[in-house]
Amino acid sequence: MSVTVRITQRPERTLRVQAYIPEVIRGLSVTTRQMLRNLFGGKDITTIQYPEVKRRYPERYRGLHRLMHRDDGQVRCVACMCCSTACPANCIHIVAAEHDDNGIEKYPATFVIDELRCIVCGFCVEACPCDAIRMDSGVHVQPFLDRDTAFFDKGELLSRGTASIATQGGTFKGSSHSHH
Amino acid sequence: MPTLTINGKQVTVPAGTPIIRAAAQVGVNIPHFCYHPTLSTPGNCRMCLVEASDARGLAASCYHKCTEGAVVNTETARVKAARQAVLEFILVNHPVDCPICDQAGECKLQDYYMTHDHKPSRVTTAKNSKSKAKPIGPHVVFDGERCILCTRCIRFCDEITGTSELTTEQRGDHTEITTFPGRELDNAYSMCVTDLCPVGALTTRDFRFKTRVWLLSSTDSLCTGCSRGCNIHMEHHEGEVKRYRPRLNPEVNEYWMCDEGRLSYQHHNLGRTTAIRLRDQREVQWPRAARQTAEALTAAVAKANGQVAMLTSPQLSCESLLAAREFASTVLGNATVYVGGNPSGGNDAFLITSDKNPNRAGVVQVFGPAILANTAYKLLEEMEQGRVQALYLMRGELPFDTAGRARFAAALSRVALVVYQGPHGLDLEERAHIFLPSATHAEQDGTYVNETGYAQAAYAAVPAMGQALADWDVLSRIARAAEMPLSFDSFDALHATLAATIAAE
Ligand code: SF4
Ligand code: SF4
Ligand code: SF4
Ligand code: SF4
Ligand code: FES
Repeated sequence: MSVTVRITQRPERTLRVQAYIPEVIRGLSVTTRQMLRNLFGGKDITTIQYPEVKRRYPERYRGLHRLMHRDDGQVRCVACMCCSTACPANCIHIVAAEHDDNGIEKYPATFVIDELRCIVCGFCVEACPCDAIRMDSGVHVQPFLDRDTAFFDKGELLSRGTASIATQGGTFKGSSHSHH
Repeated sequence: MPTLTINGKQVTVPAGTPIIRAAAQVGVNIPHFCYHPTLSTPGNCRMCLVEASDARGLAASCYHKCTEGAVVNTETARVKAARQAVLEFILVNHPVDCPICDQAGECKLQDYYMTHDHKPSRVTTAKNSKSKAKPIGPHVVFDGERCILCTRCIRFCDEITGTSELTTEQRGDHTEITTFPGRELDNAYSMCVTDLCPVGALTTRDFRFKTRVWLLSSTDSLCTGCSRGCNIHMEHHEGEVKRYRPRLNPEVNEYWMCDEGRLSYQHHNLGRTTAIRLRDQREVQWPRAARQTAEALTAAVAKANGQVAMLTSPQLSCESLLAAREFASTVLGNATVYVGGNPSGGNDAFLITSDKNPNRAGVVQVFGPAILANTAYKLLEEMEQGRVQALYLMRGELPFDTAGRARFAAALSRVALVVYQGPHGLDLEERAHIFLPSATHAEQDGTYVNETGYAQAAYAAVPAMGQALADWDVLSRIARAAEMPLSFDSFDALHATLAATIAAE
């Protein structure tokens, strides 16, 4: 891989810049122009009326975690702990347990994410072999008034979940065979 | 003594050596599933194929013997293609359960797939279903789909334990490992099959879903279940011991350990008493505990007219015992030393010994053989006759049955001062006037001498729980507070003294 180096010059500090007043006036005129445009400009406004109006997040925006569902609504997560291993903030806490259904075997008896510690890197989502954890909820992390409310448990994470489009084994629904 | 060339390196080995052993001698690792140095060689997995000049086709290096002048190559294109084919074949019906498989992270199939195959599956048909999560004995759970039919488990039960619980049923790709009708895999070493099983087909019920193996740290240690002193990997995570696994020592336990010993890791976590108690004061810190214990002991020893006793234990390391010896003669004013420890139990002709204590030989080395006459029973009689005024108890294991323990506990009330130091309160804690929590052997370094006289080291793996301290540290703090400091101030100094003492005596 070759590296391109571009050399940029600092802008020269001319007498006009050093005289200070003309530059201040120039700055204020930009602000004033913007203000007038916001007041009378109709549709051409930069400011959004948040929270009534929201900007569309990019498709891969990492929002609050959610846990996905199996077809019957149970948690997809199998407590493999790949996410908690990958998590650089060490903020995913899973206790695995034996499932009554031998076809499932292992499931998370508890699954807690400390959203205050989370650095929103998305490694957990990348690590998950089961499409069980996602950050595509589109909900961005709210401020917490109290630390305890920042611990999201399994129920809370599942409440944002939906059925996955993946089937057991990792292929998309509708494809004719499994890959393994 | 044939001399042969393996990957360009010459090696001379005794006649009859299989290529896989000779290769290991020159640092060439040949992947294998079914071969194990202590078991017979069925050559059924074909993972170990190599090119040998004296073989037609590829040779299975686990049973192909070395011959004079043979030229062996383990990394040719032909060998690599064969390995890849073997793995692809094994994976045809493999469930690839890795996310829920306890073996993941220490699975040979995973490892070999990554190093020798690494191709997507070409199989488009459904896989065979077999038994899932089926307990086949009190300690072992079986998954038929993950089994690669290497038969190591069967051979272990046939050739090592001689109990022959396991066999195969069905044929071809429907073959499944099973116990003989009406039998369970319940021999005293049954969990060794989970170490032998190269995949996650046999796993322990105890460790099941506890944690992931890649999170574990491992410390070289010993099992303290009996006087064999099996070498172990003590495996722990976040300061908690999670499991024991046997560690190879050809002189002591080879690759094995017994189930009871393997499960004895639980005593590090369960039944612990980890807070200091001075009579009815709790939430005491060590400086005050040491001072008050020293004061109480000094006063009691002054009044006791020589009727002072110390109970040591073959559960303790040689270092702890040596510290106890010095403590008994200084702080306790030449106290009479007795020996406690667990009662003896069953033994067998393989590993399990009847002495359920790891360091009786160490007790003899530190205190001399005469000490063994000072049994806990003798101490009990002395106590009952009111001839013990002050007693320092190290560890609460006693060679008594339940009735005997109750008698001992009752006799403690006749002693004016009982100081009890141990990792577990057991049923004696509330009978003692002072309780001082100490570390288990997972939490402190120590040397233990096994029944055959091997002195073996166990290293501290996890931090001591609660207020517990290493045994030498507890004694040393009290001695300092009593202004009779012991002759060492660190474990290393104590260890050096031990080496010198044993060499001199
Ligand atoms: S986004 Fe990153 S920090 Fe947050 S839980 Fe996932 S892995 Fe951990
Ligand atoms: S990686 Fe996925 S399946 Fe595994 S524990 Fe995390 S969420 Fe569950
Ligand atoms: S045996 Fe190995 S490859 Fe098979 S599921 Fe378990 S970890 Fe994965
Ligand atoms: S259960 Fe394990 S050890 Fe036994 S044959 Fe199957 S893979 Fe081999
Ligand atoms: S190790 Fe040689 S055939 Fe299995």
